Amino acid sequence: MTDDGLPSELAPVDRLLRRARFEPRESLGPEIGGRVRRGESPAVAHRHSRIYWASLAAGLVGLAAGARLLAVRSAGTVTIDRCCFDLDGGGYPDDGVLVVTGRGQRVERLRVYEDVDRSGGWSSGDRLKFERGAAPVLTGPPEAGAIATQCCLDWDGGGAADDGLMVVRSSPDRVVMAAIYETGPSPVTPVAGWQLR
Amino acid sequence: MSLTPATVRIPAPAPAAPGEQWYAEFGARIYRYLRYHVASADEADELTAETFLRAVRAAASFDPARGNAKAWLFRIAQNVLRDARRRERRRGSVSIEAFRDLVSDAPSPEERLLHEEEVRRLLAAMDELSERDREVVSLRYASELEYPEIAGILGIREAAVRTRLWRALGRLREVLAR
Repeated sequence: MTDDGLPSELAPVDRLLRRARFEPRESLGPEIGGRVRRGESPAVAHRHSRIYWASLAAGLVGLAAGARLLAVRSAGTVTIDRCCFDLDGGGYPDDGVLVVTGRGQRVERLRVYEDVDRSGGWSSGDRLKFERGAAPVLTGPPEAGAIATQCCLDWDGGGAADDGLMVVRSSPDRVVMAAIYETGPSPVTPVAGWQLR
Repeated sequence: MSLTPATVRIPAPAPAAPGEQWYAEFGARIYRYLRYHVASADEADELTAETFLRAVRAAASFDPARGNAKAWLFRIAQNVLRDARRRERRRGSVSIEAFRDLVSDAPSPEERLLHEEEVRRLLAAMDELSERDREVVSLRYASELEYPEIAGILGIREAAVRTRLWRALGRLREVLAR
């Protein structure tokens, strides 16, 4: 018999199982807390009507996307969707960025998302972490806080890989703001000579 | 104007949401329980989050007089797992990152890989057990619950838990020996 009262022939399996020990990542708790505070709903809230609602939602999303695409194209803007980076400090490169912008001009929309369904781009199954419209959230370089940058890529659709992306988080897994900037004399660190898009 | 200590206001910390409190107390055990049933750390993350989101949604229906929070949360986790299995999320090919959550005291990368392989084999063998057997093994070994706690979650007597566990381990041994 083992210490646990198991028959001795089961001891090897018992030892094997005790060696298979997992530990959740430290950021999982804060991430769940954030999702609770944001009022996120469970994925399977209404099981009996999921197909109906999914079909309806897909139809509406399709219509909205079509209308938006027409509007965007007619206005001479371009949509740039890039994935996947670790922008929220969660430790995994699962964050993506969607930018709607005039070519080489003003950024009209900036969205940071978690690529939950691993599609490699923004899709309806992803978790939106941040969104802003045409007005930049920042009016100057931040003085403190956790900052992640991705530089240099073509974020404004101008054709040249001379734009930086900056994402500011307040705690692991929580994005509080993001900005696109045209690089200046210091291309990687947005300290001097940068111009907000 | 300079700030004197009297003028400095330190904001009170935001109160923890119910989900956070429960997670702090039972999160790791729930995670480990779910982890024994899925292929990767990512899936376990998502199912753990789903468990606590459902718990918060159903918090009003939780009556401490009818049972403890731990057993209630484990029952929610069981349902989450059942729904996930219905969606056919079985173990298939998994990424190299799938075992990033495995606790290992292996002194070298090679031994760490061997340990991962051993656990991968174990979880594959677990997949061949019946739902009932997997439940009792994961509650006992992954979540490290005591027999009376498992009995409360499964709604059976403590003696039945022991019997079921022994049989499950015997089956697991057979599968591993193949």
